[in-house]
Amino acid sequence: MSLLHSLARLLDRISPAPIAYAHCDIPCGIYDPHHAQMAAHTVIRMVDLINQLEKPGPGATPEQRQEYMAKLARYVATKEQHAEIAKAEVRILWGDYFKPDHLKTFPDLHDLVWKALKSGSKARQEINVQASEDLLKATNEIASIYWKTKGLETIKVKAPYPTERETVYPKFH
Amino acid sequence: MFPFRRFRVEDESMRPTLAPGDYVLVNRWAYRVRTPARGDLVVVQDPESSERFLVKRVADAPNPREILVKGDNDRVSRDSRAFGPVPLENVIGKVWLRLRR
Repeated sequence: MSLLHSLARLLDRISPAPIAYAHCDIPCGIYDPHHAQMAAHTVIRMVDLINQLEKPGPGATPEQRQEYMAKLARYVATKEQHAEIAKAEVRILWGDYFKPDHLKTFPDLHDLVWKALKSGSKARQEINVQASEDLLKATNEIASIYWKTKGLETIKVKAPYPTERETVYPKFH
Repeated sequence: MFPFRRFRVEDESMRPTLAPGDYVLVNRWAYRVRTPARGDLVVVQDPESSERFLVKRVADAPNPREILVKGDNDRVSRDSRAFGPVPLENVIGKVWLRLRR
């Protein structure tokens, strides 16, 4: 350790030096909130499909019961998987893309992320239309903030999927 | 204003030139008489987070108003490849002395 370095450390006790970051990141810069929104749509779709599924009555044959069980199991598995995808995508945007500066302009960002994660967990655990819609709503609001940070206006329109819920898209023109 | 200011280095993107815990003495007057040149070690205000300073190397000076910066450890560095050119007004100064730990 050099003498000058020791001196600088001593000075730090009197007045700490500001930090100059040799900042690291894999310089990828590729982020898009659409993944989270699509996963939320899938969760809604699975809840709808589960609710539309005809439950086997007391007179159902073993084959009918088996078919019901198989469909239900697939819908539930997909619902849980996509709720988790939505949560993971929101975490990536929050942890890797958004910076403290963004928070000054969008102070409710933390709260939105929190809402997305909470409703995502609830939508995963339950067969709950409201929770899955709340998840989509939160991802829409995060998407709207994301596109604003890119200098793009957004529009909110009905999605072209069977779920048909309102979805935020960027306006590229 | 006193020309020299010291900064403590954090993070890994300037290895092997600088490592976490090193100090740099920055000359804030260095670019009063000339503009940053390729290869200079500089401290700049982070274009992505204005309250943070970055230490990087000038990779190019495409015009007198902005520079491109890069980390020496370029596999992990977040720099102009991610955030684009840095305006000259964000440049704090040139690293005049490195104090290695």
